Amino acid sequence: MSDIPMNHAAPASKIVSPSRVLTAKALRHRSFMLGFCVVGTVALVALLAPWLAPYDPYKQDLLARMARPVFMGGEWKHILGTDALGRDYLSRMIYGARVSLMIGFVAAMISAVIGTTLGILGGFFGGKVDAVVMFIVSVRLALPATLVALAVVALFGGSLTVVVLVLGFLLWDRFAVVMRSATMQVRQMDYIAAAEVLGASVARILWKDVLPNVLNALIVIITLEMAHAIILEAALSFLGLGVQPPTPSWGLMISEGKEMLLFESWLITIPGLALFVLLLAINILGDGIRDITAPEGRN
Amino acid sequence: MLKFIAMKLGLALLVALTVSFISFSLLYMAGDPAISMAGEGASAEVIAAVRQQYGFDRPLLVQYFDWLMRALSGDFGISYYFKTPVSAMVAERLPVTMTIGALGMGFALCLAIPTGVLAAAFPNTWVDRMALGIAVVGQAIPSFWFGLILIVIFSVNLGLVPASGTRSWTGYILPMIVLGYYATPAIMRLTRAGMLDVLSADYIRTARAKGLHWGSVLFKHALRNAIIPVVSLAAVQLGFMFGGSVVVESIFALHGAGFLAWESISRNDLPTMQALILIFSMFYIGFTLLADILNAWLDPRLRAG
Amino acid sequence: MKLASVFATILLPACLASSLAYAGKADDVLNIAFSRELEHVDPYYNTAREGILLGAAVWDALLYRDPKTGTYVGNLATAWTWIDTTTLELTLRQGVKFHNGEAFDADDVVFTLNYVVDAKNGNKSQTNTNWIKSAEKVDSFKVRIHTNGPFPAALEYLAGPIIIQPNEYYTAVGQQGVATKPIGTGPYRMESVEPGKHFVLKRNPDYFAAAKPKATIETIDIRTVPDANTQMAELFNGEIDLVWGVPADQADKMAKMGKFQVVNAPTMRVGYLSLDAAGRTGAKNPMTDLRVRQAVNYAVNRQGIVDALMKGTSAVINSACSPVQFGCEQAVMTYAYDPAKAKALLAEAGYPNGFSLDFYAYRDRPLAEAMIGMLAEVGITAKLNYMQYSALREKRIKDGTPISFMTWGSNSISDVSAVTSAFFRMGGEDDARDPAVAALLEKGDGSVDADERKAAYSKALTTIADKAYWVPLWIYSSNYVMGADVSFTPTPDELIRFYDISWK
Repeated sequence: MSDIPMNHAAPASKIVSPSRVLTAKALRHRSFMLGFCVVGTVALVALLAPWLAPYDPYKQDLLARMARPVFMGGEWKHILGTDALGRDYLSRMIYGARVSLMIGFVAAMISAVIGTTLGILGGFFGGKVDAVVMFIVSVRLALPATLVALAVVALFGGSLTVVVLVLGFLLWDRFAVVMRSATMQVRQMDYIAAAEVLGASVARILWKDVLPNVLNALIVIITLEMAHAIILEAALSFLGLGVQPPTPSWGLMISEGKEMLLFESWLITIPGLALFVLLLAINILGDGIRDITAPEGRN
Repeated sequence: MLKFIAMKLGLALLVALTVSFISFSLLYMAGDPAISMAGEGASAEVIAAVRQQYGFDRPLLVQYFDWLMRALSGDFGISYYFKTPVSAMVAERLPVTMTIGALGMGFALCLAIPTGVLAAAFPNTWVDRMALGIAVVGQAIPSFWFGLILIVIFSVNLGLVPASGTRSWTGYILPMIVLGYYATPAIMRLTRAGMLDVLSADYIRTARAKGLHWGSVLFKHALRNAIIPVVSLAAVQLGFMFGGSVVVESIFALHGAGFLAWESISRNDLPTMQALILIFSMFYIGFTLLADILNAWLDPRLRAG
Repeated sequence: MKLASVFATILLPACLASSLAYAGKADDVLNIAFSRELEHVDPYYNTAREGILLGAAVWDALLYRDPKTGTYVGNLATAWTWIDTTTLELTLRQGVKFHNGEAFDADDVVFTLNYVVDAKNGNKSQTNTNWIKSAEKVDSFKVRIHTNGPFPAALEYLAGPIIIQPNEYYTAVGQQGVATKPIGTGPYRMESVEPGKHFVLKRNPDYFAAAKPKATIETIDIRTVPDANTQMAELFNGEIDLVWGVPADQADKMAKMGKFQVVNAPTMRVGYLSLDAAGRTGAKNPMTDLRVRQAVNYAVNRQGIVDALMKGTSAVINSACSPVQFGCEQAVMTYAYDPAKAKALLAEAGYPNGFSLDFYAYRDRPLAEAMIGMLAEVGITAKLNYMQYSALREKRIKDGTPISFMTWGSNSISDVSAVTSAFFRMGGEDDARDPAVAALLEKGDGSVDADERKAAYSKALTTIADKAYWVPLWIYSSNYVMGADVSFTPTPDELIRFYDISWK
């Protein structure tokens, strides 16, 4: 779904290589480019955190607590001010980008593997296999994700690994559903039947013929689920059951800043805005990818 | 149709059973409740006695079936924390969650359907873009942050609504918005997509060609057909909302079932948790079943599959 | 609204706080917020501060300790005397009626005490009652309490958490009935209970008012508002008249607004780090080394934390008890902040590059984080595990923890037996497991001679400090924020006596 009309530029022939067509489409897709740039910047900041951060994000200074950011009359020493323990807020934001992105990415990857496997199996084989897959998906959907995540984290403690694993094992449902229907469509194509007739092994067909054809849908879901994982991690951290301090995660920073919500609410506005912008960008990026890779004439 | 319903019902029951077993065994691993129940400074003997008295020393499957049988008759045991029957406590708190869930869904529908319809009526215009903006923002805004900001603006600065509690109806406004906004994007997108499909259909073109009023074509003829999938999505979303009300209830200090669930998790209050996870799942399963049946009733082609 | 003012609204909201409207005084309802869900209104079935407050409002104890003079006066009892070292005889007050009309007599006392000491009944605060062996009726208004060995602090407990239930009513409705409709003799009666979330107290006009006064405010409406910000927001809107335990930063800001009374009062609650000296989490645990424990003591800048984060009347402590408690020896080894010394001790103990371990906490996350930061400075990487109190307690009893940040309010019992003895007498949470200390404490707890007790406690506390079993951190203070028309003077025992509150 896009705010940009894009079906006029359909390439007429197959002579132009598909990747060049995609690149061209992507470059013309304004919101995709915007999302791409924002996500790319955040990723770059996260990667280069040790070089970009002006201070050690864990270094506390109890005598310089809750210094206000520059745009609220603070000093340039701490551009975004300091938190309740006197730690540089900008540095914590920069390192927090790492945590949020990492959690989102790894969790999305885990759920991609689980969901795609289930979805492709169900979609390709149909019948009983499909029934079992759909049953598993129904069970997963019926479990209240937030509650189960909270319970598991409360049970095993809130380490980064536990949070990532829990999210990964909870968010694969959309992958399964979409991959299943995408596989079903691919399944009906002639060349799959041809491959079967030619005696190609099922594994080979799945790997060589089915997977590449559902890849586009997969990438779209990965971006969306990444956003989903980031927002859930933030919610868990907010409730005090996510990543444990002093590790800076944006959700945790909101949770910590919440104490002074009524008096120094820039403490939650800064990480909240960052989180919002990142999620917005990821969502726009996902929508953009869907537009760009969608078959012509539909959005 | 009956056969279809029976099949769906059977499947739903199977899902419910599986979910109940998963939630039970998950919490079974959650450590030894006997220690926290025995109280401060209790000796090892007292703890052992408590363990035996409540049957924590029996095998998992035995405990599960025992629990399931009693749960089926509406007896979820006694809360470890409050020492009162879980079913009574849940019954007392569920209405709050159901109220904000229903209000939130109402809010979502009121916001999503008109914008979705308008976006489809004027595709690729500023109307469409604004609708898309609402959807994208809704997907990206963390609900806990949104809730806090709303408290700061409307409760503290403007003093329009109370920050917490449900002593008057105004206390429901902010939770309704926060919870409802969360469900808006999906519903809006589906409305828009459905409307785009319907609007390109022949009979709508005919209706327009006959000179029928555009508004009545949109809302009377087109929406009626586009709304079918939206209704079932809304039912499913409502199921999600109940499970997702934890955050909202904790921010606005609403003593509903979601907040109770969260507190029970951290208090190791197993019977309450088990009951709540099961009940939230049941809501979801019930709503999905309803959606399936509704869909099949409205669209006979689905009954085959 | 201009963009700038929108930003101001979001970034610094409280400068614009709305007008105040105190609904409380007009309709004689005092609105109070509890921060946590109270599990059970019966004080014997909860271990929460809130439970003690309700206990004092709705019920009466046999004795009463005057908060100003510290002396015991009769409440439900009129006279008491030790017949021998393990038998206390009490004469009961006549003419007292419970809220449901049931007459108070010896049967109520005997029933209550025998009920709560019976482990089968699941009394949650056993440290309050496990010194009692049994109670015996002498006549309708005379009872004897038999103790498990000499127990000099008995009066303190009888004046505090040990309240008396009506025997006939309690037997009829059981503990579950009491959970929703408790009956006591106190200055307030419980009008309605929604477990965990809402309690309404009404003035008891027929209160006998022997030790505690009659209540003045007609209705006390208590709601659970778990979120501190929501509490503040409701204070702004005048929907809450009184909260306590407000963090120092918020209290400062509230005080500056000039629209509230903000009072800071010390409490009996101590904060401490419990170190796994006994090696319960593994014999190789670095905490089993005295030098490491001392290093941890030197590494934590307690004064810095008190000054910057806690403020008010909070203060650093050096002994494993609250300085106001009987027997709390102050002349013990002290460890002033000295990171260099901490590093040297760690190196000497074989950890020149430090080590990492799990750090457990259940409240005051900023304080825990600050200490973790300080430990990191000397090379100890502490990984925070933040849990609910009950879960952490369970873990500590079952497996132990290498290092835990705990606090203890002593149930407002002004005696070392309520704190040091609770943690160093080989109980579940005793991380030191030092038989010498346990024996000394046992001697102190069991003796009736004040000097002998003091001497034993002093030796025990000196050993605890020398061996650095704990890092005694600080005593907490509590910030009370009240509406302008509430008249209330906090006491150092952190007991909010609802019947002492009135309107200005």
